[in-house]
Amino acid sequence: MPVHRYEHRTLGPFVLTLPAIVGIVLLFVAPFFTFAVYSVLTAGILPFQADVPVTLEAYKHFLSAGVNRTLARNSAWTGFFAAITTVVISLPVAFWLRYAAGSRRNLVLLLVTATIFASYLVRIYAWRSMLGQNGVLNSALISIGAIDAPLQFLLFNRFAVTIALVHIFLPYVVLLLYAALGPVSINLLEAAQDLGAGVIRRWTRVVLPLVAAPAATAFIFVFILSASDYVTPQFLGGTKGIMLGVRIQESFLKTGDWPAGAAGALTMLVAFLLLYLLVSFALRLLGLRSLRFVS
Amino acid sequence: MTDRIRSPGTAAITIGVIVFLYAPLMIVVLFSFHSTGGLSLPFQGFSLRWYESVLGNVEFRRALTNSTIVALTTSLSTLLIGMLASLGLAKIHGRLRTVIGAFFFVPLTLPGLFIGLSLLVWFSRIELPPSLTTVTFAHVIYVFPYFILIMLAVLDRLDLTLEETAADLGANPWQVFWKVTFPQVWPIMIAASCLTFALSFDEFIITFFVIGSESTLPMYIWSQLRRTVSPTINVISTLLLAMTMLLWIVAFVAVMRSERRRRYSRFKDTSIT
Repeated sequence: MPVHRYEHRTLGPFVLTLPAIVGIVLLFVAPFFTFAVYSVLTAGILPFQADVPVTLEAYKHFLSAGVNRTLARNSAWTGFFAAITTVVISLPVAFWLRYAAGSRRNLVLLLVTATIFASYLVRIYAWRSMLGQNGVLNSALISIGAIDAPLQFLLFNRFAVTIALVHIFLPYVVLLLYAALGPVSINLLEAAQDLGAGVIRRWTRVVLPLVAAPAATAFIFVFILSASDYVTPQFLGGTKGIMLGVRIQESFLKTGDWPAGAAGALTMLVAFLLLYLLVSFALRLLGLRSLRFVS
Repeated sequence: MTDRIRSPGTAAITIGVIVFLYAPLMIVVLFSFHSTGGLSLPFQGFSLRWYESVLGNVEFRRALTNSTIVALTTSLSTLLIGMLASLGLAKIHGRLRTVIGAFFFVPLTLPGLFIGLSLLVWFSRIELPPSLTTVTFAHVIYVFPYFILIMLAVLDRLDLTLEETAADLGANPWQVFWKVTFPQVWPIMIAASCLTFALSFDEFIITFFVIGSESTLPMYIWSQLRRTVSPTINVISTLLLAMTMLLWIVAFVAVMRSERRRRYSRFKDTSIT
């Protein structure tokens, strides 16, 4: 018996994790490295192929093409607007849930988190039917007499893409910031109030410094997922709101120039990594808590 | 409630956010019952005609069947691999635990676009043609970290001394699992599996790259979105929403149940001593 238990404690648990480890290696690590290797290969004569010689041509092409720069800028701005809007709106909601909700907390938390499971494509479709020329918003505004002709600026631009992305990521960020406020006692706010701090000073001197790190985490999370989105801009962005992800996707499935697409995608990933490092560095410089993804 | 403060400003914003989150979805559901083909106000009366036309559609049914098969296979494989992995990890300590634990969450670090592209290139390299099989592989790697996230949160709070006691009393690992661990964790297994099923059922971003000519429900919506704007999309959307929301409720109830049981059993413990 003791021998059996000894074995069970050392090797047994590790063996149990083996299928998962092999799975991640075969379906994540190996694919990603193969993909990365494609970015330094040469596109074949036939599309959807690539081979040696190893070159940096794909990167050179990608970085020098003016259209890519425009698309990258579009992606960055959309990501930025979506992320900043989501975080700014989520903060007061998380605050209310944590400190002011009382007995209604669970209900509202349930309502907000339930929408996480509302399909991604359904949301995109929902916003298209809300914002379209004959959409719900326009027809409602016309029927109450607020406007005479449908508003044209609602759909097929960066605004429409941003609003759909905010809709998608808002519940996650509310949840994340609510969890971040968990350890922050209400006594701190009451103490600040007793010492004469008004609403604004309570936010700037108590709440914001304490949630700065999780809010930055949320910002990066929304920024990366928004900037790399390739579906929302296709349906809501029109020609003005098109983004880099769409082009990368096209070079894989339409034009078939895989090295070009892989080079574009990896450049984008490096940019995300730099943003992450920059924000972590800024937080440390300001003496705030460090950035954490899995807390 | 003494430990709450008054904050009318944030309360107003919260109400606004709830409206913002629900209004577009409600509009989609409402117009799935529209009696005409129009998708703008005023609303002209209820009808189930769009439901009839969708449910009778062969392409829709095939997409629904495919999605169900993929989501079922995904959640069952994840349940098996994930249970083994999380039970193993819960018993590993020290640095090895940190390393393996971090490795399990590695797929979460990449946005869907990059996972989809990597798998597209990889499957073509190992000459595995795109099909529902490749879609299932992709979904397993996508949902696995979420499954582990939930299971580990629960297993870490579990009383491992019970398992050791059972082992000391002569139970083999198989008996320990079925008689001690399983009765404690099954509600969470159901909750986590509902979540992985829903995630797979709804996955589009990665699926798009590895599916080839097959179809799933999100792929079907995507193709419809490109072709037309008609209430049939509202119907499919409503069905998809109902499906994922239902799974979410089941998961939520399962978690609540297990929490209550846990609290109850702890209460019993303290009353004995």
